[in-house]
Amino acid sequence: MIKTIISFVSAIILSVSFSAFSKTKVTWSMESNADRDPIFLEKLQNAYNSAQDKYELEIQFEPNETRIESLRTSMLAGMGPDIVETPGPSYVKEYQEAGMLENLDSYADEFGWKDKLIPWAYSSGVFEGSLYAIPKTHESMVMLYNKTLFEENGWKVPTTLEELEDVAGKIKAKGMDVYTYGSSGWQPTHEHLVGIYLNNYAGPQAVYEAITGEREWTDPVFVEALELLKKHMVDEGWWSGSLENYYAIGWDDFHAQFATRGAAMMTIGTWTFQATSLGIGQSGDEWGWAPLPSLSSNSGGPNFMIAIGTTMSVNAAAKNKDGAIDVLNWIMSNKDVVIDIASDFQFGEFVVPLLLDESDIPSTISPQVTSYLNEYARITGEGNYGYCTWTFWPAEPGVHIWKDMEVVWAGDISVEDFMYDHQKMWDKARKKNETLPVPLRD
Amino acid sequence: MNFLSNKSYIAWYFVIPVVFIHLFVIGIPSILSLALCLTDWSGLGKINYVGFENFIELFDDRYFKKAIFHNILWTIIFLTVPVCIALMCAYLLTGIKRGQMFYRLAFFFPYMLASVVNCQIWKYLFHPIHGLGGFFESIGIEALASSPFTTKETSLYAAAFVDGWHFWGFLVVIYLTGMYQVDNHLYEAADIEGASKFQKFRYITLPMIRPIFIFSLMIIIIWSVPVFDYVYILTGGGPAYSSEVVANYLYTHAFVRFNVGYASAVGTLMFIYVIFIVGIFGLLRKLGWEI
Repeated sequence: MIKTIISFVSAIILSVSFSAFSKTKVTWSMESNADRDPIFLEKLQNAYNSAQDKYELEIQFEPNETRIESLRTSMLAGMGPDIVETPGPSYVKEYQEAGMLENLDSYADEFGWKDKLIPWAYSSGVFEGSLYAIPKTHESMVMLYNKTLFEENGWKVPTTLEELEDVAGKIKAKGMDVYTYGSSGWQPTHEHLVGIYLNNYAGPQAVYEAITGEREWTDPVFVEALELLKKHMVDEGWWSGSLENYYAIGWDDFHAQFATRGAAMMTIGTWTFQATSLGIGQSGDEWGWAPLPSLSSNSGGPNFMIAIGTTMSVNAAAKNKDGAIDVLNWIMSNKDVVIDIASDFQFGEFVVPLLLDESDIPSTISPQVTSYLNEYARITGEGNYGYCTWTFWPAEPGVHIWKDMEVVWAGDISVEDFMYDHQKMWDKARKKNETLPVPLRD
Repeated sequence: MNFLSNKSYIAWYFVIPVVFIHLFVIGIPSILSLALCLTDWSGLGKINYVGFENFIELFDDRYFKKAIFHNILWTIIFLTVPVCIALMCAYLLTGIKRGQMFYRLAFFFPYMLASVVNCQIWKYLFHPIHGLGGFFESIGIEALASSPFTTKETSLYAAAFVDGWHFWGFLVVIYLTGMYQVDNHLYEAADIEGASKFQKFRYITLPMIRPIFIFSLMIIIIWSVPVFDYVYILTGGGPAYSSEVVANYLYTHAFVRFNVGYASAVGTLMFIYVIFIVGIFGLLRKLGWEI
């Protein structure tokens, strides 16, 4: 009897082990985040592994600070994960030019990926006429405000520069910071603000023309946009009270400031939705969001800047290329999985740009996020979208726009000189064919 | 076979593994870096030969010049402030008989901590909300409202202060070791002659520890060239390049701007400078200096 039981148990263990080992492994190096990792493990890795018997997806988490470099080293060595995750199209371009990414055209045709994705997001992964990357998440910049505080004081949510400057004066008079935000821990934060001012002062059309080379970055409209940013940042101290404090404050700090009425508003990307909901939710105040105010008549009304936060590609040297393709296709074919994961992050992460209907948005997400998603779809659908620097700027001008912006704010060089240098970098990038795909405007 | 068993080569056999590792980890990458400085390699993909273009661009680069100036300032700061404090403390410690070990440990302790830990401590201390600034503000005093790490005028000095704070304990220990080796009879003779404490320090201690002292200056000059960790963690070279140093500039070009060829040119100049400094010290030694 005992022998029979042992044989039976052994057979079960062996069969389970065999089925596990018979699957071929697919590796994915993903940006780590303590809050998100368990969800990705449960709802992406485990769900995919349970859904089929052929491949075993293994997600390896690592902080982006080290992951970007270790990924590059492993790719150079002809190794690397099967699914290559990058922080944006400028990185994809580097890998694509080096021949390290798989051309996805045939798979896109076979599985109809083009019909599943938002057109501009699909085209952001097309380099030299071929698809090399699929966006893992897309995002935009918004203005958050403490709704309870605004209602208590009878403040109007600003939609123009005049209204913004008016409410800023009232907020400061109350002893609060106008905006809370900071670059400690992530210096490229500056580019969020630069992008806002370029798109909402000069307007998306002008930015588009500069990206495509029809207009120079030295154009007075861009210079004026960054002069205005300098005025608000340096002279007025709108962000966290002063330029020095803006440099010293990081993610946790500015969320705490927002939740505790240290500031009335926050300029930030939509990746914050989960953190904001949790943070201010504990304080008892209610938060609201609004499109960024139009800063001049050039801007052409409210727009949403479009951006790709993270991309997914297939390593040309992948050990399991078919498996990697299968994972990508599974994601794009399972809208419910994407919506479920994105909902856990309040649509702040894993917002794969699939074509969704209003009815796809689950009732579990906050009303603010629901209204944002609807507005975003409506306004961008009308062609009113701007361009985030980290998605449409080539590598070197993309670094210059945030790294050297500090020099402008410090008063060491003028905005004109800064834009002159910026134009030179774009010229160089254009000459070296380093520019990135940009969706055509209607 | 006799050659292999020759006793005079035995030491070489033991050294070979280390030489091999150095060759693999330092030698080959250094040679590659020297070669890459003549290219426009982005770190991935094609490598194009560009001759001395990187160097021409570098000599015209205002931020590189700024970084060099900051490295020179950094070297001067470290050759003076921690050295003077360490010399004084080490000399005073030689007069302490009880509890000396406590002071030695206390001074040396920051040196044992990882740079990231030291940096976080000081960053928190000077944080405008949670740090001393926030505390002073809560009691109505307007002091340290801004972090010195994020203020253009003070960022370099603030980073140097934290690095110096961690480093000077190390100097105390090596100076103290040198001071204990000074023959006590010299001090006794000086006492008989009625020499003051300062005179004993100036005319006995300092000349007697000269080899250690010069060695400390040499390592400070050499270590000031690749200074990176404290600047990177505390200020990132900013704001507005106000604390930019050459190693951080190299890192930014290599790993942020994808400009590996240019970064290699920076590295090559750093390498030449270090060789130059080591050469000077070697020359002085040949000329009979006790260093």
